[in-house]
Amino acid sequence: MKKIILSIFAMSLLIVSCSNDDDGTTSEPLGAYEDGIIVSSEGGPSSIDFISEDLTTIENQIYFNVNNEATGVYLQSLGFNDDKAYIVVQDGTITVVNRYTFEKLATISTGLTLPRYIAFEDNTAYVSDWGDGNDTTDDYIAVIDLTSNTVISTIPVSEGPEQILEESDKLYVSHKGGYNVNNVISVIDTSDNSLETITVNDVPDEMFIDESGDLLVLSSGANQYWLTPAVITDAAITRINLSDNSIISNLEFPSGEHPSLMTYEDGIAYYILNNKVYSLADNATSLPTSSLFDLSTSYAYGLSVDDNQLFVTDASFTGNSTLLVYDISSGTETNTFSVGVGASKIYFN
Amino acid sequence: MIVEHINITLIILGRLCNKKRVRRPANFKTIKSNFRDKSDLRMIRVILSFLLLFFYSVTKAQIANDSIQRLDEVVLSDVKLKRYASGFKLKVLNDSLLKKNNSSFTDILRFNSNLYFKENGYGMVSSPSFRGTNASQTAVIWNGININSQLTGQTDFNTINTTNFKSIVIRSGGGSVQYGSGAVGGSIHLNNTLSFTSHFDNTATLSYGSYDTKNVSYLSSFGNEKLSLNIGLNYIDSENDYKYLNTDERNENGAFKNGSINANLGYILSEKNVLKLYHQSFIGEREFSGTASTRSLAKYEDQNFRTMLEWSHLGKKTNSKLKVAHLQEHFKYFGNQNTDNYTFGKVNTYLINYTADIDLIKHLKFKPIVSYNYYEGSGSSFDDPNRKEFSTTALLLYTPSPKWYYGFNLRQDVNSSFDSPLLFSFDIAYNVSDAYKLKLNGSKNYRVPTFNDLYWQQGGNLDLVPETSYQVDLGQELTYKNAKLNLNAFYINTTDLIQWQPNDSGFWSPDNVDKTQNYGIEASLDITKRVNAHQFSLQSNYAYTVSEDLETNKQLIYVPYHKANINLAYAYKRISVFVQHLYTGEVFTTTDNRFGPLYSIDAYEVSNSGVNYQLLKTNSQQIDVSLKVNNLFNTAYENVAFRPMPDRNFNFQIQYKF
Repeated sequence: MKKIILSIFAMSLLIVSCSNDDDGTTSEPLGAYEDGIIVSSEGGPSSIDFISEDLTTIENQIYFNVNNEATGVYLQSLGFNDDKAYIVVQDGTITVVNRYTFEKLATISTGLTLPRYIAFEDNTAYVSDWGDGNDTTDDYIAVIDLTSNTVISTIPVSEGPEQILEESDKLYVSHKGGYNVNNVISVIDTSDNSLETITVNDVPDEMFIDESGDLLVLSSGANQYWLTPAVITDAAITRINLSDNSIISNLEFPSGEHPSLMTYEDGIAYYILNNKVYSLADNATSLPTSSLFDLSTSYAYGLSVDDNQLFVTDASFTGNSTLLVYDISSGTETNTFSVGVGASKIYFN
Repeated sequence: MIVEHINITLIILGRLCNKKRVRRPANFKTIKSNFRDKSDLRMIRVILSFLLLFFYSVTKAQIANDSIQRLDEVVLSDVKLKRYASGFKLKVLNDSLLKKNNSSFTDILRFNSNLYFKENGYGMVSSPSFRGTNASQTAVIWNGININSQLTGQTDFNTINTTNFKSIVIRSGGGSVQYGSGAVGGSIHLNNTLSFTSHFDNTATLSYGSYDTKNVSYLSSFGNEKLSLNIGLNYIDSENDYKYLNTDERNENGAFKNGSINANLGYILSEKNVLKLYHQSFIGEREFSGTASTRSLAKYEDQNFRTMLEWSHLGKKTNSKLKVAHLQEHFKYFGNQNTDNYTFGKVNTYLINYTADIDLIKHLKFKPIVSYNYYEGSGSSFDDPNRKEFSTTALLLYTPSPKWYYGFNLRQDVNSSFDSPLLFSFDIAYNVSDAYKLKLNGSKNYRVPTFNDLYWQQGGNLDLVPETSYQVDLGQELTYKNAKLNLNAFYINTTDLIQWQPNDSGFWSPDNVDKTQNYGIEASLDITKRVNAHQFSLQSNYAYTVSEDLETNKQLIYVPYHKANINLAYAYKRISVFVQHLYTGEVFTTTDNRFGPLYSIDAYEVSNSGVNYQLLKTNSQQIDVSLKVNNLFNTAYENVAFRPMPDRNFNFQIQYKF
């Protein structure tokens, strides 16, 4: 009885506090990993960890525990759709699991080369794929039928498609540039796969839709100091009007600053620069001059926000990484967890 | 950012290629051109067979003799390994063992020495660890010169074909003074020997084994008083698609093939002058298998060429030697072998080396070495860096009595890329009695930054300095009848270890960060026994190794605390059988020293066995057939995480000597 009450309580918390793709009408627990935080780690070995929503317990390597096999290297990202999670691994494999139990359901490998991120629309998934990393002209978006779990077509795009998100039957793809440098956002109309591009600063990566329905893009700027001559360009946060793909504002960082992590919640973007957390409101007309608080990380590698709590991974690539939780309003570190090798992504299930 | 992992993996991978079968001629020929007197020659022969048995473990003082020295100069490619190492533990694997084993170089060493190997699946990249040090702290020496990759700092043991080496010597302990960068934990020496007796021997070998593994090799050796020539050709091809035990997967994308040529020529110009030419070529192509959970389409091509010309001048008090050599390493990595896209790295090394052996006064020998190396590299991940290196070495040897041996050595390099430390080593051997010897050595050694460390784009760090290490090693050697027991204890302290990690800009970059210490003990036991026509032998090694990061006090990854092996052989008339067994203790795969499938690899034991039968044996011809079973008990094991090793497999070989 106690358990049921607890789970109902947890469910209600979820409904109130989380952005959740689940419809939230079920009262029976759907699996051990129904409510909580999922952290994925690149590896090797790659792994997926689960932390209870109340931040009291952690279970490491849940995929391994359930399926008795490892996720491949390097685990790039996860995607969630209905009751399934999709584990995108850079060797060209996507493993489909039940998002609540993490039981393996299917594997998609044919038609993928070097996949990065996944987005969904109805019964179709779209996966950004670099193709052969050394080939600047073979990059594509793989179109996957989610019933048969097969790649049914590809949409050629320019070099290095990275993050991908779906909004109102359109796909927005940030072209970080793979091994090179690119500076466009691809806009793909899923009704006819027609393609437009929006030019932004170099190395666009993180993307979010803000409260006004505009697209927010963090471009890190090129930082190829080893080339002769060096190629170093400015980073920027760009806001784009999705009705006509016009640029509303382009806030450039001073030369030499190259932020690469940004997250977004309730009208505020949070980004990390030189181990400090900054916030940028939707209506801001310039970049903040002072930070919210300092991080104690040595290598901040993953960033997410949920319910006024900031989750940051401090990555180690030779041993376990650390997940740190900060209370944004006070800037204090409230929890730490030992997570996998090369922990890079934080999701809320 | 994950993609940077790929680069790092590549950097770490170093060199890759195929595996090889090992064979070599069994006969050891002496030289007579310098010895007019027949009794002298007979004596030399006796001494040489003695040497063959205890090649390097016999203190030089006991057999010191000018003729021997002259003979060494003519026959051996690396005299200092024999003469200036009495205080070091040397283990010799001679050609009869190498031939019998019919195994990859990695397997020979795994089963016959204290070395531990990380092999990324059978036939894939294989890197050694000596006393808990890493692969770039283990030097591989080909006929006296260091052949570790200038790109990775290490040698992939699956790109070494042991065909036609006369002996492989494992020298434990620091050897940077004599052998340069990377000889920190120890060094592995591949030696060719030239024989100037009149002979013409040929050996042809064919083998076929599991996973469609085909190997063909041919060795020929010719010699007379003036000329000595030997050549070895080897080709191996394997699908290598072994089953992953306890799963329904196979080792996909693991096929390999490689060919090698090993040719050596010696010519006695006059009583005082000898010219020698050594050459080795290796061309290999390997698919790179994935892991149990990660598929792979990768392919790797290796091309290594090594040529050395040596001129020895034998004087009355002084022998001198001039060597010029050219080494080339070249790899191509195809991330997807179905495309034409690849990355590559290539380094040419040009070397000139002069050394002399001088009898200063009675019992005191002096060997100065001056050497100039020029390295030029090119590759997808850097421009065209080059490095110049001039080094001076002085070796002093004092043997006041047959019981005592003292060696003291110094080396200073001058390098165009970074400052090199002054290196030293000393070694002492004391023959307490015929049955008991004590050996002590201590040294300061280094491992220089590689081209990858310095120039890799992105991340290469021009501010790196060499890793330096101090060590001390105490050895005892007990001999009783046909049994020999070696006991060693060692301590190594290394600073400025070069480690790749993300830097402030988020790029992976190497830095001189870590400090480590290694200590442990090693024991080896050799027993041979002959009862009438029955011959038994037992050979066993055990090592206990602690290798820890001095900041975290954690055991380093991929260093087993315990490793042991045992080889038993029995021969009766035309038939011989052997069984060998290997135990490798648990290793950690991440720095946290956690246990579990994602953090450590279980200990494993694996056995091989084989039988050999002489079908034909006459004075001039011999035919041997042999069958070998690897992984006799079909054990599932890994030595690198998620990279299963082969199931039980068979190899059949026929060998014809004429």
